[in-house]
Amino acid sequence: MKKENKIFNAMKIPLFAILCSLVVGGIVIAVTGSNPFKAYYALLQGSGLAPKSSYANYKSILTDFFSYVNYFTPMIFAALAVAVALRAGLFNIGVSGQMLAAGFVATVVVGYSGLGAVVAKPLVILIGILIGGLAGAIIGFLKYKFNINEVVSSIMLNYIFQYVVSFLINTYYVDPVSRQSVEVSQAARLTLMDTLVGNLKIDIPLGIIAALLAVVLVWFLFEKTKLGYELKAVGYSRSAAKYAGIKVGKCMVLSMTISGMLAGLAGVTYYLGYVGSIQPKVLISTGFDAIAVSLLGSNNPFGIILSSMLITMISKGSTYMKSVAGVDAEIASVITGIILLFSACNAYIRWMAEKRKREKNRNAKEEK
Amino acid sequence: MDIIIIDGLSFALPLFIMAIGGIYCEKSGVTMLAIEGLQGVGAFIGALMAVLFAGNFAGNSPVPFYIAMIFATIGGSVFALLHALLCLKFKANQVISGVVVNIMAMALTAYLTKLLNRLIFGAASDKFVLAVSARITIPGLSKIPLMGAVFTNLYPFEIVIIIVAFLAWFVMYRTRFGMHLRACGDNPHAVDAAGRDVNKIRLAAIMICGALSGLGGICFAYSISANFSASIYVGYGYLAIAALIFGNWRILPTLGACLLFGFARSGGYRLVQVLQMPSSYQDLVMILPYVLTLLLLVFFSKQNGAPRALGEIYDKGAR
Repeated sequence: MKKENKIFNAMKIPLFAILCSLVVGGIVIAVTGSNPFKAYYALLQGSGLAPKSSYANYKSILTDFFSYVNYFTPMIFAALAVAVALRAGLFNIGVSGQMLAAGFVATVVVGYSGLGAVVAKPLVILIGILIGGLAGAIIGFLKYKFNINEVVSSIMLNYIFQYVVSFLINTYYVDPVSRQSVEVSQAARLTLMDTLVGNLKIDIPLGIIAALLAVVLVWFLFEKTKLGYELKAVGYSRSAAKYAGIKVGKCMVLSMTISGMLAGLAGVTYYLGYVGSIQPKVLISTGFDAIAVSLLGSNNPFGIILSSMLITMISKGSTYMKSVAGVDAEIASVITGIILLFSACNAYIRWMAEKRKREKNRNAKEEK
Repeated sequence: MDIIIIDGLSFALPLFIMAIGGIYCEKSGVTMLAIEGLQGVGAFIGALMAVLFAGNFAGNSPVPFYIAMIFATIGGSVFALLHALLCLKFKANQVISGVVVNIMAMALTAYLTKLLNRLIFGAASDKFVLAVSARITIPGLSKIPLMGAVFTNLYPFEIVIIIVAFLAWFVMYRTRFGMHLRACGDNPHAVDAAGRDVNKIRLAAIMICGALSGLGGICFAYSISANFSASIYVGYGYLAIAALIFGNWRILPTLGACLLFGFARSGGYRLVQVLQMPSSYQDLVMILPYVLTLLLLVFFSKQNGAPRALGEIYDKGAR
């Protein structure tokens, strides 16, 4: 099979899922009395992919675009986190909690420390990897040692992180005006905020470089290393992997640890990049949307880049869509949900397509 | 002490009925992680109906609450069809399907609440405000020392839940349908050989789960928050799942787990009040049920009696 053909085949089902959900979303928007085309175009405008009719001072389509890149950087990490676990047959629904834990520790240790940018920025990334990995490892360990369903334990940890962080912020680090945690120092920030480029003020996300690097590394792990092969084998069939002499328990703990590390990176690029502070009692939706992103990208690292661009575009653009087309911003998560719905069926769609192909082949043979 | 028992019960019983729903679904062999979403949708439909009909009744009439309960069970079981469609028809991964149902439920109810508030009531609001359910005290029984608190300041729904829970126990363990349902989770091929349709039984189990989850959801909406908003999604559904795992997929031990969660929570709140700690310490108390769940699972998950065919897609041709 030719290479282009193979890529096209892999993209066929996700594209179908996206198309279906856009149509369904469009019908909903039309029924509620707005113009769906205008609404969808507003999504593009809101994320800097199409020009708006007017811009404020120091702003242009580029400002919007960089802000959009800044927004989808954490999503790439988060979706990779979900994908790494899924490939090994585990379901990491605790990405949001791991993000929060990593973001909070990095905020307290580095964000308030007054260290110089050269030391602070790498340190933030390091702490993100460490704390995230630790949180992931706990879940993997509980699964391996005590047979605790990883979905239940990661959700429990989500709530524990959420409340503990909220308590610590409200007790020690609260900014009395914004009711959020005190903003981190610019030196620790992974995004260079409001940087003057020409006559524009742009947020330059440094994290995107790390994110693209992570994409390549995850691809390398699964396609080129022994560990990646073992993880995939465990994902396909735990018992078969066990009989082949693979240490299933070790693989499960490792995959959750790697997944947690990536979630930690998502956390620091979100809490010390896109935003500079933490809102108590709120668990952001990135970790849950990441499941949709990962499924849509067929758990393929490169597919994830495309799908995270799409999903974040829908949520990033929704605020602008509300102001221009008058559509409730909440429709964004409905569309994401429908995409997720169709992608969950993709095994069935694939099976149906194969069945039809088989029947066609058989008919062709009979005709001969 | 009385307050701990009263509040603990009003938290534990809705949790219990949701957990029974989960037991039904999982006993039939379908992994159920969608309780969180189902209870939210149930609460949404119930609250919507209560708000729509509230105008027809006097301010303190309990009728809207019973209407809400009925519609919550219907709403929950209809939305559960989505899980059935994905799991049974499209043979999707049941864990993923559960998460999809949850995410869909949150997105849809948040969107619809805003939309319907605007269209029907002309108000820009993201919640349906409900009346707080009246409470009843059973005369006589409430005078028993210590145990009396159990019969004091009851929400009416607590009695409904106990009746429904008993019915659910009866159906599960004393009827032919219940036996087939349990067999579906352990050995679906045997059920098939006995001439029953495995998928039909599982469909019924999923819908029962939706109905019971919806009932639990509307009870939470009427007692703890007194409104419907996105704040209904704070993990009660997952707590119910933890309770049923801890209860080893059996109804009575699950009740014990739910009571434990309820009393841990109300006891913690009381502690914050008694010791006059600042209100931010409530956040620390909030983690109690979750920490307890994790700890208990550490001790009890190893020898768990999960249904043997749980999570497996039923394939007639497989051996």
